[in-house]
Amino acid sequence: MRAMILAGLLLATPALADVPTAVTDHILPGYANFTETAAGLAMMAETTCAPDQLRPAWNAAFDAWLGIAHIRLGPVEDEGRALAIAFWPDPKGMGAKQQAAMIAGMDPMGLDPVAFRQASVAVRGLMAMERLLYPEAPLTGDYPCALMATTAADLAQTARDVQAGWEGGFADAVLTAGADGNTRFLSEVEARQALFTQLITGIEFVKESRIARPLGTFDAPRPDRAEAKASGRAGRNIVLSLTALRDYAAALDPDAVTTLAAFDRAIASAAALPDPTLAGITDPAAWLKLEILGQQVQAAQDAAVTEIGDALGVGVGFNAADGD
Amino acid sequence: MASRRAFLAGLAAATLPRMSWAEAGNPSYLAAAQLADGTFALHGLSAAGHSLFDLPLPARGHAAAAHPTQALAVAFARRPGTFALVLDAVTGSVAHRLAPPGNRHFNGHGAFSADGTRLYTAEQRADDSAGIMGIWETAGFTRTGEVLTHGIGPHDLKRLPDGSLIVANGGIATDPTDRTKLNLDTMRASLARLDGDGTLLSLAEMPQEYVQNSIRHLTLIPGGVAMALQWEGDPAEAVPLLALWQEDQITLCPAPLAEAARMQGYAGSIAATAGQIAITSSHGGVIQIYGIDGAFQQTLTRIDASGIAAQGDGFLVTDGTGALTRITAAGITAVETMPLAWDNHLVALDGAV
Repeated sequence: MRAMILAGLLLATPALADVPTAVTDHILPGYANFTETAAGLAMMAETTCAPDQLRPAWNAAFDAWLGIAHIRLGPVEDEGRALAIAFWPDPKGMGAKQQAAMIAGMDPMGLDPVAFRQASVAVRGLMAMERLLYPEAPLTGDYPCALMATTAADLAQTARDVQAGWEGGFADAVLTAGADGNTRFLSEVEARQALFTQLITGIEFVKESRIARPLGTFDAPRPDRAEAKASGRAGRNIVLSLTALRDYAAALDPDAVTTLAAFDRAIASAAALPDPTLAGITDPAAWLKLEILGQQVQAAQDAAVTEIGDALGVGVGFNAADGD
Repeated sequence: MASRRAFLAGLAAATLPRMSWAEAGNPSYLAAAQLADGTFALHGLSAAGHSLFDLPLPARGHAAAAHPTQALAVAFARRPGTFALVLDAVTGSVAHRLAPPGNRHFNGHGAFSADGTRLYTAEQRADDSAGIMGIWETAGFTRTGEVLTHGIGPHDLKRLPDGSLIVANGGIATDPTDRTKLNLDTMRASLARLDGDGTLLSLAEMPQEYVQNSIRHLTLIPGGVAMALQWEGDPAEAVPLLALWQEDQITLCPAPLAEAARMQGYAGSIAATAGQIAITSSHGGVIQIYGIDGAFQQTLTRIDASGIAAQGDGFLVTDGTGALTRITAAGITAVETMPLAWDNHLVALDGAV
């Protein structure tokens, strides 16, 4: 680790291809895809609130988000947008509680997409839509229907805002790192380190949140903690997020054969999970399969830290790696 | 009545040439770093944030304490610390090498008394992590005593304007050989205020709701201290990481949910100006600014942001990329980037503004 940090400081190997490729081939198309699918969901939610009609569009938007959700840098971090898109994990069930209160009180905020932007991030975004589209008990009355349209419109607007932020300046800030007047990235190394950090923390999120939270322990599995439990997307989310991370890793360093092979093994295991809802992990054999998947994701992370970190001449931050 | 030992120590001090900070170039800040060749050093920085001198360290440092008048800086090792070096900031030589007594570790922080005659060190008992404050005289830097800090795993230690000491008992018991955390299910952080002889004056505990929030670092504010916290509970919960201690009460200062999440459960350093408090998160690559009353204001982005200190109405920030940046009302601007990695803390010398 120490050698890697110093390599980042000193060598500044000019791996110029990686950053532009990641931005133009991965990040910008990823956001464009998400914006398009979120707009499709919002448009449909204006015409119907029948869950069975909206679910395919919601699933498409969620799929698109997973293609880019690991990028937690720049416009998506402003104004709480990342959490306003996907507020999860939510261990205290804040989203469900606050949304139920909104519905019970017919909060006028839920009828106005502009006012709704001031609502707590816990009641916005894909997970809020999921609760409306896959409710425990059928929702009745006009308010939930209107809230669905508002939530979808807000999601679409957030997606547009993130895309506009990247296309309207942040991509340039990344690509001109180190140039005079660029206060966001003081050097080209910083931009590389920032993009590299997105890869590592993205893998970490799959491992810690999407896998380890429901995994719990052998004696106490926690399938109730699976992501997108109501819609049964937990397994699909693992597959799609790993696939997106592999794509991103390949954009940063197409020669990272060890890392890409490690991703391939993990993706194959994720795709072969016996129960895509993860509800079945109370069965010891299924639990072990998920545990092995977690180890494979860890292996991909270890490989990426070494292989791609070396290729980019960067590491995890000096202080972030050793806090006190 | 001065003891014979203190008298002799005073005599020794009087006869030794001790330089003032002016002769070291009047640094305003101290900061430890890893240099490009992999070695470590303690830097003295000017008020503008430029390096004035660097003193070699034998291993990775953490924080430092500056003598109020003499050009002496005590550099504390990274936890679990087996040494602290008293460095002559003019010559760069090691004036004294401090080692904790048996079954004690230094915990990275310490403070001088206002008159400079005593050094207080935050320590823990190796076998059970019980908090200890070591007391040293500063003529020959010998240990004159120690007291309990009435908590587990103390970390930062600051001198209050009335001369009493405030100790952040982090609450976390650790393995004596490394940093493995042993008691996260039962931990409870506290702030202990001790007089100059180590007598307990007051003790304030972390509120039950946030019992897994560890108190790590402190900065003085009017009528008390502000503290930077590190969350040891479920990482998915975005809890307050700034708290104020005033009138013996600990009050947490929540940020809006989405802003709170950006800290990733980790506040690494803290500083305050007359009007604002700032905390850094190297994990989140952010700096959060609050009013002096603890009301959230904004989040700023800076990769691996760690050390922070007040500079006039704004702040100076150090990070692991070697950059030193300035935060003002207008935002972040670069001051200087050096070929090194700044370590956790940027320590303001007394009287620095």
